[in-house]
Amino acid sequence: MILAPARRRPKLDQWLAFATVPFFFTLFGIVFVPLSGMMPPRSPSSSPPQIVDFMQSDSLLVACAILTLCFGLAPLSNAVYLIQIKRMSVSPVFRYSLMVGSMSGAIVGMLFPMFCFGLGAFRTGYDPSVLAMLYDFGYLAYIGSLGCFCVMWLAFGLAIILDTNSVLPKWLGYYTVWQYVTELMAAPVWIATSGPFAWNGLMTFWFAMMIYVPWQIIVYVCIHRSIKNQPDDELENA
Amino acid sequence: MARYVRNPLTITWVLLTAVTLVSWLAARDTGSAHVLNVGVTVVVLAIAAVKSQLVIWYFMEVRHAPNWLRVVVTGWVLTLFAALLGIYLIIP
Amino acid sequence: MTDLLQREAKTRGHIPGESSMWFFVIGDLIIFAGYFLAYMYYRGQDPELFLESQARLNLDIGAANTVVLLTSSLFVALGTSAARSEKTADGVRLIGFALTLGAAFPVLKLFEYVPEVLAGVTPGTNVFFMFYYVMTGLHLCHVMLGLVILSFVIRNLRDPARKNISFVETGATYWHMVDVLWLVLFALLYGMR
Repeated sequence: MILAPARRRPKLDQWLAFATVPFFFTLFGIVFVPLSGMMPPRSPSSSPPQIVDFMQSDSLLVACAILTLCFGLAPLSNAVYLIQIKRMSVSPVFRYSLMVGSMSGAIVGMLFPMFCFGLGAFRTGYDPSVLAMLYDFGYLAYIGSLGCFCVMWLAFGLAIILDTNSVLPKWLGYYTVWQYVTELMAAPVWIATSGPFAWNGLMTFWFAMMIYVPWQIIVYVCIHRSIKNQPDDELENA
Repeated sequence: MARYVRNPLTITWVLLTAVTLVSWLAARDTGSAHVLNVGVTVVVLAIAAVKSQLVIWYFMEVRHAPNWLRVVVTGWVLTLFAALLGIYLIIP
Repeated sequence: MTDLLQREAKTRGHIPGESSMWFFVIGDLIIFAGYFLAYMYYRGQDPELFLESQARLNLDIGAANTVVLLTSSLFVALGTSAARSEKTADGVRLIGFALTLGAAFPVLKLFEYVPEVLAGVTPGTNVFFMFYYVMTGLHLCHVMLGLVILSFVIRNLRDPARKNISFVETGATYWHMVDVLWLVLFALLYGMR
């Protein structure tokens, strides 16, 4: 019995994982922006009735349902980065840092908000003050979980800059360092409840988005090139 | 030693430091009750623009750089300070 | 002086250091420009608050830090020029001095921040102080990184096997950018009225 050789499509595993990335991020985008109205972030100083309305809205319910079903794709996106970092000449410390950063970031930055907003959407009968706390918790976890992502982006950026195998272009490493900077700039959200440093502020949110969105697209293009250029004999399942 | 003292870089530094000391002394004299002062602000921003351009041109060696880099960086200085002044004068 | 001019003429059209660092420098300048413009805009929303808050800043330390960075930049520039002319020992000494001087910046910052915080002036005090702490804090991180980079530059210069003028220029470019950013911050936070 001849087993169909996987050799004919040796990078199929990477390409499949890679293909899930735009699907995941697009879905994420739809869920967060037009569907639930969670993004751009609502005001931290909203009044209790506004918070209650939002937390128990139907659109938030649908958004949370979709999120619950698809959040498992997040690790795939990170795995795609990790496989490429593994090819770099830098110490394994970098990819382990990225791995741990992305794991903790996904738990705190995605799962916690999912629970908070999910509780509001899926369960009725909570006190308005409880819903207000869940609202704060959800947004702060989403935007204030900067530490995990700081580690991720710094590790990724430094790995690219120090890599002598030129797996990814150096300027991308520097751009990734800016990702780290925008995460640092998010720290004030814990203090300010209005103005440019609140979680929906110009300095902490909008500037960060202007830097993040192009980065996500550019990284995707660079990784595509990187997978394509990876020699077949370098693959771990070769 | 002379090559480091009689050097365009050192001369630039003397100018930069002198201007900084002058601005510092001027700002000190204004006292603790700071009042809106368009004149002072225009001068402060203009000085900062000149200082930035000097550091970029001489220390960062942009005066020896290819044209596109000279244009981009000088453009940054001009655009930033013009915009800062513009916002200051227009808003509120 | 003429051989200096001749050497400089040969370097026309030359980008000092790696071009990826210039990508970073230009981008960082643009990002900070965004922050500077936002500061100016929000200042316009409440000039009295900003003015009376500015009065509580330590202008002396601000000015001292400006001179510290300008002087440190000078020595980095002189050191780079020395390294390029194969005067490596001079280069090491000059950049070493720049590093020592640069290390004074965070120390002075400490003398500035700590009394302020102890006096109850924190990032949460008002929007001016949030801008102040966030922007000078971010700049301070840049300075710390710059000190690390300069240390590596010196280490590489001292080792004949690692000597690489491009790396020296790259590190120098970063350090001068940090200086330029401070010049703008000094004007916006401490100087303007």
